[in-house]
Amino acid sequence: MTQQEQLQAEKIKASHNVAVTVSDLDLYYGETRALQEINLTIPEKQVTAFIGPSGCGKSTLLRCFNRLNDLIDICRVDGEIHLNGRDIYAEDVEVAELRREVGIVFQKPNPFPKSIYENVAYGLRIQGVNKRRQLDETVEWALKGAALWDEVKDRLNDSAFSLSGGQQQRLVIARAIAVQPKCILLDEPCSALDPISTLKVEELIAELKSQYTIIMVTHNMQQAARVSDYTAFMYMGELIEFGETDQIFTNPRLKKTEDYITGRYG
Amino acid sequence: MKALTRWIADGTPWVWLNAAAVAASILLVTGLLLLIGIRGVGHFWPLAVHQIVYQEADGTEVVVTGQIRERETVTATRLRESGLEVAEGTELVHRDLLKTGNRDVTGQDFRWILEPSIQSMSRPRSMVVLEREEWGVFIGMLIGVREAGQLLESPDTWGDFQSRLERANELRDEIRELEKNRIGSVNYRLERLRLKQRGLELKGKLDAENLADIESDRALLQEEYRGLEQELVDLYSKLQLGAVVVTTGDGKELELPMSTIVDAHRPNQMGLAGKIGHFFHNCWKFVTEDPREANTEGGIFPAIFGTVLMVLLMSVFVTPLGVVAAVYLKEYARQGMFTRFIRVAVNNLAGVPSIVYGVFGLGFFVYTLGGSLDRLFYPEALPAPTFGTGGLFWASLTLALLTLPVVIVSTEEGLSRIPRSIREGSLALGATQWETLWRTVLPMASPGIMTGLILAVARAAGEVAPLMLVGVVKLAPALPLDGNWPFLHLDRKFMHLGFHIYDVGFQSPNVEAARPLVYATALLLVVVIVLLNLVAIRVRNRLSEKYRGLES
Repeated sequence: MTQQEQLQAEKIKASHNVAVTVSDLDLYYGETRALQEINLTIPEKQVTAFIGPSGCGKSTLLRCFNRLNDLIDICRVDGEIHLNGRDIYAEDVEVAELRREVGIVFQKPNPFPKSIYENVAYGLRIQGVNKRRQLDETVEWALKGAALWDEVKDRLNDSAFSLSGGQQQRLVIARAIAVQPKCILLDEPCSALDPISTLKVEELIAELKSQYTIIMVTHNMQQAARVSDYTAFMYMGELIEFGETDQIFTNPRLKKTEDYITGRYG
Repeated sequence: MKALTRWIADGTPWVWLNAAAVAASILLVTGLLLLIGIRGVGHFWPLAVHQIVYQEADGTEVVVTGQIRERETVTATRLRESGLEVAEGTELVHRDLLKTGNRDVTGQDFRWILEPSIQSMSRPRSMVVLEREEWGVFIGMLIGVREAGQLLESPDTWGDFQSRLERANELRDEIRELEKNRIGSVNYRLERLRLKQRGLELKGKLDAENLADIESDRALLQEEYRGLEQELVDLYSKLQLGAVVVTTGDGKELELPMSTIVDAHRPNQMGLAGKIGHFFHNCWKFVTEDPREANTEGGIFPAIFGTVLMVLLMSVFVTPLGVVAAVYLKEYARQGMFTRFIRVAVNNLAGVPSIVYGVFGLGFFVYTLGGSLDRLFYPEALPAPTFGTGGLFWASLTLALLTLPVVIVSTEEGLSRIPRSIREGSLALGATQWETLWRTVLPMASPGIMTGLILAVARAAGEVAPLMLVGVVKLAPALPLDGNWPFLHLDRKFMHLGFHIYDVGFQSPNVEAARPLVYATALLLVVVIVLLNLVAIRVRNRLSEKYRGLES
């Protein structure tokens, strides 16, 4: 951990609770080292954005937080990630349990081929909740939380595929918050959406941060500037700079960051 | 020249070639269906009965009656070589295949006649065609009905005859019901009782008390049997409804007992509507009745039943096995040399000739497994085998094995079509891999599984070779599904449409009579397969409708 990183971590610890700590994280795909020496402290109930050019490893890092990378046979992780003080790569961690605490929303909406209602209830049913009333309440609450309730309340039993792309993305967010996670990961949640849907999802993110820690990957620098509180800039598998969004966008410490933000490369 | 080069370069010849290939395929398929359709269904059309004055080769004139089944052209030389006289100057001669019936009188029921030797031809309106329980059909004229030695005086002989025929058919149905179901059931229970006694004897537990129980049960059953037997005798005596007096075309008079006549019609008096009615009547009888006379007459219901039941059982065996195997290969096994090897092996299994599966089924299922089952669970029936001989169960299992590769391959394809994002979405909500599979992946792969099943059904329903080794017979005494507990008798032998075609076509003593039945049975086999497939395709379409939108 560099001195600068140490300083940044101290600063965050001083003003916020810490949600996630990444220390000396290396990730390999077979022989290729995709992430190098990542050290990062992510504050609780704030929006943290990862920016950087394609292939820089920001999605890979995001998917470490709920161990989705485990699905790839050749993927190997060194180092530690602590979520609320617990090492999530420890031996005794129940992966399904962890994923319940850390929800994820992908670039393209991926609703299940079920009704709107069943999509939101999916996580609960997995946990064994089958009481109709409890399900009804949670589904309504989650859909309201994702600002979708008014649009779908009359057609909960329709197929999720009957929704527009933006609605589907909010449905997927509702599905994620229905299991009441602590942390929500957003992997370029707006890149497949039109501007109006994007706006709605961004408003939603701003609302959700009062209850959840949000970590998002975005390609869109205006979006990162609009939505996030903290921003991490990554390049070639390394974390180049991390700090408050205002500082990163107005007064970057490093030349590389400035070049990227001002569009000199990307 | 340049135009030709351009014509070739712009791909027109290819388009034509492709279109020609498609056209050829369509032509072949429709041609095949039309051929078996017309030949098979045509058999049920009531043909007119001709009375023909015919000059035999030795110059004598005879009267023959019959239905013209076929007409063909032969060269005069060929006929001369076979010793027949043909007038000078003729090159080609037409000849007709006449179905004369009356095998009991003339010893044959088909004959060829040469058209030049026909002196005259008429269609007397009074000609009747009688279907009998034995000796094939009778073609001739109805004289009257005789009862107790007396010819009935009646203005409406045909009407009298019809009403008696109806009564005879009712009685026959009753007799069949009694013999097959009620007496069959008593016999079945008696046999089980015998086996129970033998089983106790083998275990050394047959004491006086047991024996007394069994004996009293047996006495009860035998009592019941005697009652039924009496009923049967009564029915048979009622069936002695007298006889019908008929003459053959050449004037020979004979008497046929009413009880042997199954059906009657007068084709020369039928209008178009009557013929159509009789046609459907015949078709219906063909698909609902049991075969008679070494399968050359009657229907093929047991074969349809056996085919469908066998295919259903096969589906029940092959689907879970294939799906579970494919899920393991695709979802759980680490992809590498070994899985690749298994995949190659599975694909090659699909190419193994089916008779090899038959041999395996006989050697492994029937003799090894069946033999062991018999020794373990049915010692009382030995040395008569229960499962140690071919039967429905082993036939279904053998075909399940035969179609397993198809189901595995298409299930794997179905699984690999499911986008990663759906699996990740489910896993990200805290589902385990098993929950993801069960709740999301398998339902979404179900259209793929159904595709595999459709292919499997199509293949299994038409398969004959392996079945001949593991349980198909030309005539099964009882259906594998009946009213006796445990209702589904997996150890029974069964009839199958494919084998029926082979048997009727190539093992039949009466080739001319059997030929149309071969076509009709073939048509029915195609229809059965198409129906089974249509059901499966409907299910698949509903499933893909339900899980559509995967690509978006």
